Amino acid sequence: MTRAPWGLWAASALLLAALLLAWEWAARGLGLSALVLPAPSRVLQALWKGLASGYFWPHLRATALVLLLGIAAGCSIGFAVGVALAESSLLRGLLLPYVVVSQVVPKLALMPLFILWFGFGMTSTVVITALICFFPLMEATITGLRQVPPERLELFRMLGATRAQALWRLKLPTGLPGILAGLRVAVMLALVGAVVGEFMGSSRGLGALVIAAQGSMDTPLMFAVLVLIAALGMLAYQLTLRLERWLLRSYTSPG
Amino acid sequence: MSFLSLRQVDFGFAGWPPTLHGIDLEVPEGEIHCIVGRSGCGKTTLLKLAAGLVAPSQGHISLRGRPPAEAIADIGFVFQAPTLLEWKRVIDNVLLPVSLRRRPEANDLAKAQGLLAQLGLAEDARRYPRQLSGGQQSRVALARALILDPALLLLDEPFAALDAITREELQRDLLQMCRNGRTTVLFVTHDIGEAVYLGDRVTLMQAGRVVQQMPVELTRPRLSVQRTSPSFTGLCARLREAMNLQAQPA
Repeated sequence: MTRAPWGLWAASALLLAALLLAWEWAARGLGLSALVLPAPSRVLQALWKGLASGYFWPHLRATALVLLLGIAAGCSIGFAVGVALAESSLLRGLLLPYVVVSQVVPKLALMPLFILWFGFGMTSTVVITALICFFPLMEATITGLRQVPPERLELFRMLGATRAQALWRLKLPTGLPGILAGLRVAVMLALVGAVVGEFMGSSRGLGALVIAAQGSMDTPLMFAVLVLIAALGMLAYQLTLRLERWLLRSYTSPG
Repeated sequence: MSFLSLRQVDFGFAGWPPTLHGIDLEVPEGEIHCIVGRSGCGKTTLLKLAAGLVAPSQGHISLRGRPPAEAIADIGFVFQAPTLLEWKRVIDNVLLPVSLRRRPEANDLAKAQGLLAQLGLAEDARRYPRQLSGGQQSRVALARALILDPALLLLDEPFAALDAITREELQRDLLQMCRNGRTTVLFVTHDIGEAVYLGDRVTLMQAGRVVQQMPVELTRPRLSVQRTSPSFTGLCARLREAMNLQAQPA
């Protein structure tokens, strides 16, 4: 990925400032109720109050934990199932149709069922987040492992490599860039899963806080929480990019 | 008994007409044997049979009296493309055949460095394949094929994608490396000049059959000046004739 030049960064920041100013002006000048569209200054106030009083922190921690556990569980299971399906044409033929059908069902529609099964709280939200992460990673893993050029497979056969060696030392490194692209998609979807899961299934977390703010008609608080969700998403995305760059360093490094 | 022997070998994919018919080929130990033919004449399939990558539908193949699939440790293979692992450094690519068997030791490393030095890549051991030119990548593939001192080296048009000057350099390097190791070589190419320059014997294939075998009676070591000698051009002309290339107007 190339870095944008400084001039562009500055222009981008100016654009943000202009938009915020326009918003501030519109909220004040048009006399909109803070219930509908609070001015940025009021959102900032709510954000600062929540952070300084420590009110946001347990919720932020809860969502971050759900995100982390969900991604870890969903991605590791997705990866393992992807490897199994890529390596065995029997399993692929047997299970892939079911896996695909299971993905057609909107997973968030399963949330009420999970609340019934796993109770109201973190377990349900982690399960839904994991379920959402599972598919992109499995898909990316299957595609990644199966795109190895045939002459490389022949090379490994010629060298007497075992199946495990071909998997770990040829197929996985060849498929790694694709698998990591799947991880990036999974991480972004996971945040949606975690927040929407918390709408329904939890009394803690940023999603639950949005619902609470809606219940108390505190729109500035709702906006403040949205800012936090966006920040968490940015952080998760940047961490994934870092991980990707680190894992792919021997693919791209100049020397 | 010859080193590599194919007797009455047929090969075909199920449901398709056979790609090889009644191939008889005897390669004595230490010989450099070139196989020439047009694209699609079955040269690569023949090489894969000799490597034990595919099994013949009929006939018998033996390498030192054993089926090639059992003698796989004695065979080095160089593919049409260098087929290097782009996430591994040059030295680790060369050591791949060793590291798939056991942990490489200091003497393996020294040997890999030695091979790279012979091929003029001593400075490039810590670089990645993408930082090398096509000719350098082919050299790394050659070093990888030679790291385990194979008794038989199989090469499938390894230099076809290179420019003429680099190709000549690599042909010279190959001859030098194989003479040092007394390696038996089966070299597949569509380039008549390359076959005559490298080979002790040239086999001509057409449409899945061996149509002619010709000994190359040129002195060794082969020198670049021989490429323009009358005996060299004479041999090339005979092969061109056998391939029906001579009579066709341009």
